[in-house]
Amino acid sequence: MSKPKVGIYGLTSCAGDQLAILNLEDELLDLAGAVDIIDFPMAMSGNDPKTRLDVAFVEGSVVNSHDREFLQKIRERASLLVAIGTCAVWGGVPAMSNEIPREELKQKVYGEGGKAFDSIPAQPLSSFVKVDCSIPGCPMEKGHFLRAVASLLHGDIPLLPTYAVCTECKMKENVCLLKEKDQLCLGPVTVAGCEALCPSHSVPCQGCRGPLEEANIASEVHLFREKGYSAEDIQKRLRTFAAPAAAIKSFFGKE
Amino acid sequence: MSKSIVVDEVCRVEGHGGINVSLQNGKVSQVEFDIFEGSRFFEPLLRGRPYDEVASITSRICAICSFGHTLASLQATEDVFGVKVSAQTEKLRDLMIQGEMIESHALHLFCLVLPDLLGYPSAIHMAADHKEAVVMGLGLKKLGNTIREVLGGRAIHPCNAVVGGFGKLPAADALSALKQSLQRALDDAMKAVDLLSTLPVPNFTESPTVYAALDSPGGIYGYFGKEILTSTGGRLDIHDYRKLTNERTVSHSHAKHSLFSGSPFMTGSLARLTLNEKKLKGKAREAQQKLGLRLPTNNIFANNLAQAIELVFSIERAREIIEDLIKEGMREERLPQIKLKAGKGVGAVEVPRGTLYHSYTYDDQGRIIDADIITPTAQNLANIEKDFRAAVEHLPNEPQQSMAFKLEMVARAYDPCISCSVHLIEMDR
Repeated sequence: MSKPKVGIYGLTSCAGDQLAILNLEDELLDLAGAVDIIDFPMAMSGNDPKTRLDVAFVEGSVVNSHDREFLQKIRERASLLVAIGTCAVWGGVPAMSNEIPREELKQKVYGEGGKAFDSIPAQPLSSFVKVDCSIPGCPMEKGHFLRAVASLLHGDIPLLPTYAVCTECKMKENVCLLKEKDQLCLGPVTVAGCEALCPSHSVPCQGCRGPLEEANIASEVHLFREKGYSAEDIQKRLRTFAAPAAAIKSFFGKE
Repeated sequence: MSKSIVVDEVCRVEGHGGINVSLQNGKVSQVEFDIFEGSRFFEPLLRGRPYDEVASITSRICAICSFGHTLASLQATEDVFGVKVSAQTEKLRDLMIQGEMIESHALHLFCLVLPDLLGYPSAIHMAADHKEAVVMGLGLKKLGNTIREVLGGRAIHPCNAVVGGFGKLPAADALSALKQSLQRALDDAMKAVDLLSTLPVPNFTESPTVYAALDSPGGIYGYFGKEILTSTGGRLDIHDYRKLTNERTVSHSHAKHSLFSGSPFMTGSLARLTLNEKKLKGKAREAQQKLGLRLPTNNIFANNLAQAIELVFSIERAREIIEDLIKEGMREERLPQIKLKAGKGVGAVEVPRGTLYHSYTYDDQGRIIDADIITPTAQNLANIEKDFRAAVEHLPNEPQQSMAFKLEMVARAYDPCISCSVHLIEMDR
């Protein structure tokens, strides 16, 4: 059987998820032996931009028509499309202020010269194409990528944690930054997988892995309000990695 | 007769950019390094953000330089509020940036440059014939990442460095283990220098170059400083960085261009070495001799040699810092009390690709009013275009396809970080 053909791509991004793959220093050469990486512009020249792909891994968010068209081309040639990193899965940091009109942003940043620049509010891949599997994280955990490749090689869709960062944090017996230190910690509403990295360094969770399915955001907001945080600060924190703005707004009533 | 040389997308660089060179009757009429990486508008996004969230947001500008962005951001914020960090924090931050240099330079030299020089499309392909070199390069890269993990909590987008200090001190045994690894890595880095010294340095793009870098204090080569030096004899306080970088918008690029006194300039490893050469010592000095790098030079391909020298330097320096930390013994320190006040501050750090500036204006509640972030690649863009022009003029008879490849090599010599450069600054008001 021939090896699965793989493409690895970045839309607009910090390249952190592609770098996380390159950071698999001990496994990289074995990985390149197990799958046939035929298109990886960040790391290779002489790429094959046409052959059908068994799996495409895509990081970054869609912020202009170039990204959108490129993503659609990848989707057309790939049997499976995997979103890697929080930008690809949720929109990420660039999506945190999507309500500000693009015209205003372009004017602020580039002045008159920027008017013609192509720019749309930052969106996750799923706004434009079918996504078969998502590996969140800012950046994604390189071990999750490796496990995902192993699962896909066996014909399985990878399984990732579906519980909260809070759960991991309790397992580590960290002091609770939310309840005991009154900090804006998003551990209860953020999907696990990082081993509660930030709280383990006495830094509150910023939600970089994106929201937990069925997270009780209303209860988290209520807790923060009790501790005296303003609606604005809570919203800003919740939206840093751009859980959809409209959904979050609904937890604040008419403030 | 007109013709053009086009590279749709430069590969093996971080981010998305293309090259367009047009010729009229054998003369270069137009040169464009077309940056089509999308805009993320980081600076307007920061508006209204409280001071303790800013570094973790700005680190997301770029993964490869995420430690540099974090440190420049923390410095700018601390500058506004007058926060003085402890000597121990300074050492740990220094170690963070050494880790970033080791990771980034090893990645660039082994995964991006060596394949060019040896004629392979990637490090993975190169491994078929040169497995030892690739494994060695990956080992050095991993060591850089391990330093980043021990100090920053993770290798990309550190969470542990905060305004005033660290969330958690690195474990003493992790530092001791690093010291051992650094000792072995120094031998590997010198082997890499030996390998590079056997390969020819391309020289088809020589043209007069102005360099700019931070003046590292205390006679020690390094990546922090309060003043900027230029090879034209200039010296500027970092608070006046805009006199150097004064950016302008160009229509073919989502990244702005920098000109100093009307001329392009180069920032990065080669600029740092050119301006701080006398401070090099030990194995780094030895590496410079082995590589036969005479400074100043007008050949941008010497930047790859400069990176190899810095790779050796950073390994040596990281070991020194760790020895010092172990000798002094690390102490738990309380984070300094932050007294919020309105004001403006600047942070500047030498990151793998050159000098990175963050400048913030805060209101009296400690929220961002204005942010200005100038990355090294943005500063280098005008100089890269200058070198494209020189390359095409030096090789008038080169076939189009091979010229296109040579232009990609020029771009890669700068190790450009295109995600970084598409940052966006506000217009002068």
